[in-house]
Parts: sequence; C-alpha cells; structure tokens
Amino acid sequence: MAAISVHQFAHSITSHAWSPDKSMVALCPNNSEVHIYKLVEDKWEKAHVLQKHDQVISGIDWSRRSNRIVTASHDRNSYVWNLEGSEWVPTLVILRLNRAALCVQWSPEENKFAVGSGAKTVCICYYEQENNWWVSKLIRKRHDSSVTSVSWHPNNILLATTSTDGKCRVFSTFIKGVDAKDSKKATSSDFKFGELIVQLDLSSSWTFGVKWSPSGNTLAYVGHNSMIYFVDDVGPSPLAQNVVFRDLPLRDVLFVSEKMVIGVGFDCNPMVFAADERGIWSFIRYLGEQEVVSSGSSYGSQFSEAFGKLYGQSKHGASNDAVETSKPHENCINSIMPMSEQGTLIRRFSTSGLDGRIVLWDLENVPDLLELLVR
Amino acid sequence: MSSNTLRLYLTCIRNTLEAAMCLQNFPCQEVERHNKPEVELKTSPELLLNPVLICRNEAEKCLIETSINSLRISLKVRQTDELENILTKKFLRFLSMRAEAFQVLRRKPVQGYDISFLITNYHCEQMQKQKLIDFIVQFMEDIDKEISELKMSVNTRGRLVATEFLKQFI
Repeated sequence: MAAISVHQFAHSITSHAWSPDKSMVALCPNNSEVHIYKLVEDKWEKAHVLQKHDQVISGIDWSRRSNRIVTASHDRNSYVWNLEGSEWVPTLVILRLNRAALCVQWSPEENKFAVGSGAKTVCICYYEQENNWWVSKLIRKRHDSSVTSVSWHPNNILLATTSTDGKCRVFSTFIKGVDAKDSKKATSSDFKFGELIVQLDLSSSWTFGVKWSPSGNTLAYVGHNSMIYFVDDVGPSPLAQNVVFRDLPLRDVLFVSEKMVIGVGFDCNPMVFAADERGIWSFIRYLGEQEVVSSGSSYGSQFSEAFGKLYGQSKHGASNDAVETSKPHENCINSIMPMSEQGTLIRRFSTSGLDGRIVLWDLENVPDLLELLVR
Repeated sequence: MSSNTLRLYLTCIRNTLEAAMCLQNFPCQEVERHNKPEVELKTSPELLLNPVLICRNEAEKCLIETSINSLRISLKVRQTDELENILTKKFLRFLSMRAEAFQVLRRKPVQGYDISFLITNYHCEQMQKQKLIDFIVQFMEDIDKEISELKMSVNTRGRLVATEFLKQFI
C-alpha cells in the first residue's frame, strides 16, 4: 500500500508545508490561522497557532534553509514568520495588492518569494534591511485573470505561473541588488525583471499546479479540462505534450523524478504519470487502491428526511450514517508536498485535501512504480 | 417505458453533476475582500464554463451552469394540465420559502425554471460530493411522485365533495 499513514487534522485543509527536518507540519484549517503540529512520540501535537490574518489563508511555504514560513491570505496580505526563541514573529510584507493573494512559494535560494494574486498580478518579494520589511515588485498587465499557482525554476530567476485565463507563462524575476549577475547563468540573467519569456496557450480551460522538474528542464501543469501538459525546452521554441485522462481534473502536481510526476485533484486519488525512454509521457495508474464502483441504489436522501420532517412523518426509513472510510482521501486533494529526497528522487510525499487529512505516501513499497522511479 | 427514460434522464444528470462539481475556493476578482458565487455574478466570463442543458422532453429539463466556485442547477418539472401546474407552483414555492433548511436551495428559481439549486465550494467542503448529488437526484425523483400524489388526493377529495353535494338532490 502506497499510503503509509493518514492523519485527520481539521475539517478541511487549504494548504500545508513541512519544516526543514520534516518533524513539524504547518497547515491552514480553512480559516485565518496557521496551525503548526509537532510529532511527539508518534502523535501529532499542536505546537503553535499563528494568528495575524483575518481571512482564509490560501498558501503556506516553509523555507528549507532559513526556517521561515511565508503565508498568503485572501485578506490581501502576506507575512513572513521567523522563529525567535519559542515564538513565531510575523514580519509584514508590503504586497501592494488590492485583491486576494492566492499562492506563495519561496525561491530556491530563499532570498525572494513569489505571490500570485486575484488582482491578475504576481508579486516578487525581497527583504529590505533598512526598513525591516519585505517589499515587492509587481509583474503587471501580463495575466488576464487570477494567478492560481507559481513555481520557481531551480536557477532562482525564472518563475512559471498558471492562471484562470488558461495560460501558463514563464517570467524573468531578476532583481538588481538581490540577484547577483552570474556569468554561468548568463542566459537567464540577460532578461529584465518581469520580462515574459514564454506564454503557453495549450489549455482551453483554467490552469493550475505548475511545477518544474528537479533539473528545471521540464515544466508540468494541469488544465481544468482533465489534461496535464508537459513542456520541454522552455524558451523560444518550447516542446509541448498534452496528456488527456478520463477522470476528474487535477489541482496540483509534483515531480518525483525527471521522468515521473504525481498529480492530485478532484478524484481524491493521486495519479502517476511517467515518461518512457523516448520521452513520451503517459498516465500509468492510480497510486491509491481504486475503489469498486458501487451501484447507486440505496441512497439515503437528506431530502426525503427533511421531507419527512416537514410533513411530520417519516417517508423513508433510510439513514446515511454508515460511510465506508476506506479511501485515504474523501474530498478534493489540493496540495502535494515532497518529504524526503535522495538526490533528485522523491520517494516520500504528503497530500492534503478538503477532507482535512494529510496522507503520507511512500513509493518504497510499490515495486512497479519504484522501478519506474529509479530507472 | 416512461420509468426507463426517467432513469436515463437522471443518470445523465448524475454524471453531468459529477463532472461539474469540481469547485474550489475562489475570491472575487472585482470586489476586494469579497467571495461570491461567480455563477450568480457573471462578471468575469473566463471563470464560467459552458452551461449544460439536459432535456427529457419539452416540459422537463435541467440546466446546469458551472463556474470556478459555484454551480447552479435549475429544474423544470413536468406540468401536463392546469391542476399540475398550480400544484407544482404552490409546492415549490412552499419549499423555496424554507430554503435555509435545504442549504443548497435557491430562494428564487432562475427565469424559465421551476426550482433552482445553488451549490458553492463551501457546500462541497462541508458535505460529501456524492451525498449532494444523491440529494439532487433524489429530489428530482421525489418531486414527480409528490406532485402526482397531491394531484390524486385533490381529485379524490373533489370526487368526495361532489358526491356529498349531489346527495341532497337524490
């Protein structure tokens, strides 16, 4: 079984992130707080509650080296949290947004982070020493709708975004004074800040969940029309592949290796995609056990019960208490996070969803997928 | 035959709902710090999907409109004669007035339809998707039965009253 453990943390979770040593998890229980849970003797205990936002938090990211948490919320604000002693201290980020912030991610070098917003802009934020706050530079007038997800290229300069206008875009985020001009990375630092490097118009519907492969050679994102797109050679002449699958759309993806991707979404069951030797991507299988399709004959309708109440009599004796809880996730999965890495291979990862669960998955005990992963 | 087409009609609606009910939290792009069902606002055309109209026949149809964070289902119930028409109207009004009890019921039907449901991402977070779909389908199944039962009882009562009334002339 690929799912190694299932933890119910809240009624629903909008986003989660792991601490650098994976002993703590920060999650938003679909409200304006961030809860940090700590693993104490095989049990998750609530260690901290971060309260500063006043609307639901849409994105959390925990930096690996500097141990900072950044949160983005629908209240248009973003905070960077630093652990000082045993307290998490927030630092305001001047996002200059007038709509909700939807997603956030630290850059690989952790000197910048990107926030996608409902104002059809992307904010690239960096720290300003003299004022002790994070300031942002905006990429404006490039998106025609809300920015649903952002992803940093490993070179710390390129940023990929997806938006509800159905496009995926790659920008340069070179900021003078923050990014050093590196002769080795000459190709990427040639571009000015906010320059559009490529615009991919593959999807006919909203796009979500953009990610770069560990090397930064391949880009993957999903469309709401139940498609996943893989793009090689991101640049002037990108090479794109569309993979159609028959089930409900995905929300987020994760590269577990250069040639293997896990997608999560409305089907409540992670999907595995892999590329063969020629680089052709295809759907492999579901990661969790496929449920047996039950015949929908015995509905316990709430309506008939409500009906009974309104009429003062019970028309149907049906009750809907018995819910089989065999699947790891019961509702839409909206984020997937890596947990352990050996080189560029990720064997363990976690998913969280609207059912309030965080499920840990391990490819170690799935022989057929492990074979694909390490080849 | 008719029960068979009803089954097909409901299955079609069930499958459409299954695909359409992929909703997520999405804040308003027009008004800051607001979160509204986009299917009702219709301010950003890119956030709406193509509406699906499922017809069993001219008198019975179901319109499913989807947006990124909400879904609207509007039903037109069969009304073959005046009595059914008035019964449907009164009965669905009775339900609409108690919309809070049903959570997903819209207080006013969409124009041209008898009753509408509005499902938002918040409903999908609180309730199981499968149960929500079951509820809608069961509702459609029950409504026909309910109307014909009401019609029958009105007719029976009419007959009884007429018999009683006419007794005095014997």
